[in-house]
Amino acid sequence: MAELTRTKERILREAVRENVEIMSGRLPGRGRHRIGVVMRAARLFFFLTLPIAIFTTSYVVAKVAGGRSGGVPESMLNRQPPLQRQAARPKATDLVATSTPQLIDPAVFPVAVRKVVLDPGHGGTNLGTTNAGGLIEKELTLDIAHRLRELLESNAFHVVMTREGDAQLSLQKRALIANETQGDIFVSIHVNWLVTRQIRGVETYFLGATDDPYLSALAARENQGSGYSLADLRGLIEEIYANARMGESRRLAEAVQRSLYRSLLERNPGLQDRGVKTAPFGVLTRTGMPAILAEVACLSNRQEAQLLMTASYRQFIAEALYEGINAYASGLNQRSQIGS
Amino acid sequence: MDDQGHEHKNDSNSESSGGKDDGILYVGIDLGTSRSAISTSNGVRKVVESYVGWPVDMVARKVLKHDIVIGEEALKLRPMLDMHRPLENGLIKEGSEKDAEAVRQLMKHLVVLGGAGGKGDGKKQVRAVVGVPAEALRVNKQQLRGALTGIVDSLMIVTEPFAVAYGLDALLHSLIIDIGAGTADFCVMNGRYPNDEDQRTLNSAGDAIDQILTKSVQEKHPEANFSEHMVREWKEAHSFVGEPPERIVVKAPVRGKPTKIDITDEMRNACESLVAPVAETMIDLIARVEPEYQDRIRNNVILSGGTSLTRGLSDRLQAILKEYGGGRVKVVDDPIFVGSDGGLAIAMDAPDSDWERLSSG
Repeated sequence: MAELTRTKERILREAVRENVEIMSGRLPGRGRHRIGVVMRAARLFFFLTLPIAIFTTSYVVAKVAGGRSGGVPESMLNRQPPLQRQAARPKATDLVATSTPQLIDPAVFPVAVRKVVLDPGHGGTNLGTTNAGGLIEKELTLDIAHRLRELLESNAFHVVMTREGDAQLSLQKRALIANETQGDIFVSIHVNWLVTRQIRGVETYFLGATDDPYLSALAARENQGSGYSLADLRGLIEEIYANARMGESRRLAEAVQRSLYRSLLERNPGLQDRGVKTAPFGVLTRTGMPAILAEVACLSNRQEAQLLMTASYRQFIAEALYEGINAYASGLNQRSQIGS
Repeated sequence: MDDQGHEHKNDSNSESSGGKDDGILYVGIDLGTSRSAISTSNGVRKVVESYVGWPVDMVARKVLKHDIVIGEEALKLRPMLDMHRPLENGLIKEGSEKDAEAVRQLMKHLVVLGGAGGKGDGKKQVRAVVGVPAEALRVNKQQLRGALTGIVDSLMIVTEPFAVAYGLDALLHSLIIDIGAGTADFCVMNGRYPNDEDQRTLNSAGDAIDQILTKSVQEKHPEANFSEHMVREWKEAHSFVGEPPERIVVKAPVRGKPTKIDITDEMRNACESLVAPVAETMIDLIARVEPEYQDRIRNNVILSGGTSLTRGLSDRLQAILKEYGGGRVKVVDDPIFVGSDGGLAIAMDAPDSDWERLSSG
């Protein structure tokens, strides 16, 4: 009994600690008890190698950017890597600045969208939404994704599908496929179901802000401390990168939403533009590239469901998605060219 | 049962319902995709259908005489309501402000039912433990915390199977499988607070069974007319794996006439779809435990959650364990409240100093 009480007390302390970490916006220290020694060793290794890594990264970035674009102006190189300067010398003002990181200007790197990861929503026993007419979201999303793939591939994009057939994949697996195949953008295709069945519309999501007070809390803590912990710095880097990715995801979402609405309205009068929205979808959280989730139709609306039954409308959706992706890719290339 | 939720007297051990009465109400909440349960330190246990509805128009508002309708009543009155089932896979539906508001209303309703009192009613301070799916992301937990600001005074979020384990004192060498509507959550308890490696969430749960059942009944009886709520009722009354205890015959209107249809095979196929992913995950989690403890865990597999009531499920999982050296799978006595009771036990055990750290004020 005493042993059980002690176990409960220990477990409760851990539960409270995790909650406090989440409240303060810090990354949870799960699995700490297993890897405490490893973490200390990693921390030591990290601090020993950090200056070398920063120098090497700066050098490579300068070389690559300069080599590809014919020379990035010196001023741009001086302006861009705030993270590196902060990491080397964590002054209070620098740290505060990281709480609202600047989006990484695509002009720094002459980038292009070449590989598109298409994620047909649901699959296997995860049917997604269904309607009384027998339409099933997992089948609709797969059909549209196949049509979109054809369009993209015939226009020189390389396409990776998270599923080719009726496979059941976890969100983690979908994100893993996107990350491992090094996709440039990730487009998850879904069909919506709304309780208000009169509504028919399209909407596009990207990973949104979470009111995470992480960075401000981090800055305050680190101004007092002797240095970064490995976990904190990892979080900082992730956060800055996440903000850069979020900006591109928003642009991609806007391009796709605009195209979906404008194109589909011709075939689907009464269609509502439900807009670009942010949301912490799991699949978008874990993908390491600009990522969106498009709700291309509402299966709950009878008229829209009837349209979805026709191959021509599904082809129309695929074409609208293609136009949106292409518009984003073209815009990205233009921004890169302006920057160079 | 009353019109706001099913009421149950707290017959659980009084250790978790006595001893602390300092103007503070401790609550454990299992916020479920289909149903939400609350257990409180003043002995109340209630379960509410996780539906929130707003009158569709002025006429409906006039008829209903309420701005919002929650729970079973919302289900009954759904033609007049803009209905929201605000949780999806055990979490607040992503991207919908209305669903976030629906979760707030549902939680407020639960807390009031639990005895927190309203304005001018000697409102008590509320300290709540809420269970979420095992693999809920940090952002999901933050989202939930944000949604509950102002409704509870202090909040601790734990994973649902952990709450079950805590309530049952099954903290050492056990595997909890909590199968609800939205998710099946797994948690290996090794005498420590579970980390990511100890826990798993599957989206194959009660709702997935409903969807498969709906589709297959539609295919077999295209002339029959039925709703998702009817399908859920059929499943809750007759779900099984293995051999059917009897033929399952239900009534559904065909061209307006109530007609008996046999759904035995469809029910079996739908429920059987759950077995493979659950068994696979169970075996995988056990295999990851240190070898000397695997035997103990195999013999202490605990099934909870509404879907664990599927007839034959525990026997089937136990039969599967035979191939791995044998084991024992038991269903908890009270699958509906075991999670909220566990949350309450956590709430009661946590010291005041911890609750102060978790204050949302």
